[in-house]
Amino acid sequence: MKQLTATVTDVQRLTKDIFSIWLNAAELAQTAKPGQFVNIRVGEGEELLLRRPVSIADVFGQKVRLIFRIVGKGTAWLSQVPKGCGLDLLGPLGRPVRIPKGRDILVCGGGVGAAPLLFLTRRLARQNRVYVVLGAKSRKEMILVREFKRLRVKGYIATNDGSLGWKGTASELAELVANELNRPIVYACGPRPMLQDIVARLPGHEIWGFAEERMGCGTGICHCCALARKDGGYIRLCRDGPVVLLNGVRL
Amino acid sequence: MNFEVQLGRTIFPNPVLAASGTFGFGLDFPRVANAIGGIVTKAITVEPRAGNPPPRIYEFPGGIINSVGLENPGLKRFRAEILPRLARLKSRLIVNIAGFSIEEFGLLAESLSSERVDGFEVNVSCPNVAEGGALFGQDPKMVERVTRVVRQQTDKTVIVKLTANFIDPVETAKAALAGGADAVTLINTLFGLALQKDGTPFLGGRTGGISGPAIKHFALFCVDRVARAVAIPVIGCGGIMNGQDALDFISAGARLVQVGTASLRNPYAPLEVWCELRLLCRKNRFKNWADVIGRTGRSS
Repeated sequence: MKQLTATVTDVQRLTKDIFSIWLNAAELAQTAKPGQFVNIRVGEGEELLLRRPVSIADVFGQKVRLIFRIVGKGTAWLSQVPKGCGLDLLGPLGRPVRIPKGRDILVCGGGVGAAPLLFLTRRLARQNRVYVVLGAKSRKEMILVREFKRLRVKGYIATNDGSLGWKGTASELAELVANELNRPIVYACGPRPMLQDIVARLPGHEIWGFAEERMGCGTGICHCCALARKDGGYIRLCRDGPVVLLNGVRL
Repeated sequence: MNFEVQLGRTIFPNPVLAASGTFGFGLDFPRVANAIGGIVTKAITVEPRAGNPPPRIYEFPGGIINSVGLENPGLKRFRAEILPRLARLKSRLIVNIAGFSIEEFGLLAESLSSERVDGFEVNVSCPNVAEGGALFGQDPKMVERVTRVVRQQTDKTVIVKLTANFIDPVETAKAALAGGADAVTLINTLFGLALQKDGTPFLGGRTGGISGPAIKHFALFCVDRVARAVAIPVIGCGGIMNGQDALDFISAGARLVQVGTASLRNPYAPLEVWCELRLLCRKNRFKNWADVIGRTGRSS
């Protein structure tokens, strides 16, 4: 983990409230692994005290891509950062996902949850058979379809209103796909109800999920981002996650 | 200029400490820990504690409210697993201890008076636990008794971390002095309640403790008030984000300061505050550090 200043080289609006920014950050690009995140200082002065954690969506050469949805003042500020500006960030943070070998893999993303799965899928696809399910409320809210297609993995799309692909939720579709695979390892990222639904639909599967909780420091020192373990006690999401074995935690 | 401060038997190389609960056990950022005046560990209780359910942190303009609930591995594991690893840090080490009874405070001080530990910060003021110890801080008699028990168990430096919630800290600072404390820390977080739009509490622990720049001027008020009224060294704490904030607390009468919430934004914050404080001293052409401490009180 390092504190660094990364220059914003590009800002794109992907949907009504989802933004993508590319950063020039050679060291971060080299060291970051799927599942990790950066913690970004937002706003001026002391009004917004805490950094905003954003998972790493992709890495390309010396560049790092971050994708986030506007959920409050901090992310709204981040979406307004002009090209050429430097962002103060800490990273990479969090525990990298362990990449398996020679397995069937099911990746399932809901909404902005597709973002960190892009980077993960890129690495998983090198030595596994990867199947990707992407879900969103509607066609307008679907992101990264083109990027995933370029990875040449098998892809499936679901929208709640049927405006793109299969009509239904990502987790429903994930269940159908999983049943066709050989003991797939599942990686999921999306809203908490989606993660809960996947766990309920795929009993007996190894399911890794990108969990979320209100975070203080992102570096493990404040113990705020607690996620309850099934066997009692809490883990620190920023340090022991954010990707956790969903089978072992209470969402 | 010499910035050394002595409290009890401990000589702190400079006046900037990392506050309890915002720097873990100091193992994650050894470079920072070794360069600042010292570190205060996360609170240790006799039994392990899982802490409060999430969410544990709420942010509002200028401050945060936390409700961690003293999550810690407990005395036994701290002694077996963490204390040995702290041997590789050079920094002054103050262990924050939180008991739920007077006996527990005594036990903690006795069991942790090892060579590596320089002193204790007696936590009678955590706002995030319902039971026992936290309420001691609102009762001068209990503060005195707890302090005395800890004092009897150890020859290490004894600091009492006081609250300003529903009690005049002058009263509790006097009690800490009477009990044999070497210093008091002022202030712990202030009681706070954050709500969701539907009127239900936001924090998993229901209520929490407010910290950050929002409480700085109240903390300064308390430091000034206690420093002028009680003959006990004060460690200032509350919303210190930069060197000027630290200097303000020193001016108000604090011998040392603690950097807390700022470390959540930037784990290097305590070191940066110390560097900025040194630069400010040069800029202000201070000749003698002792003249700076408490200059507010002498000016009026």
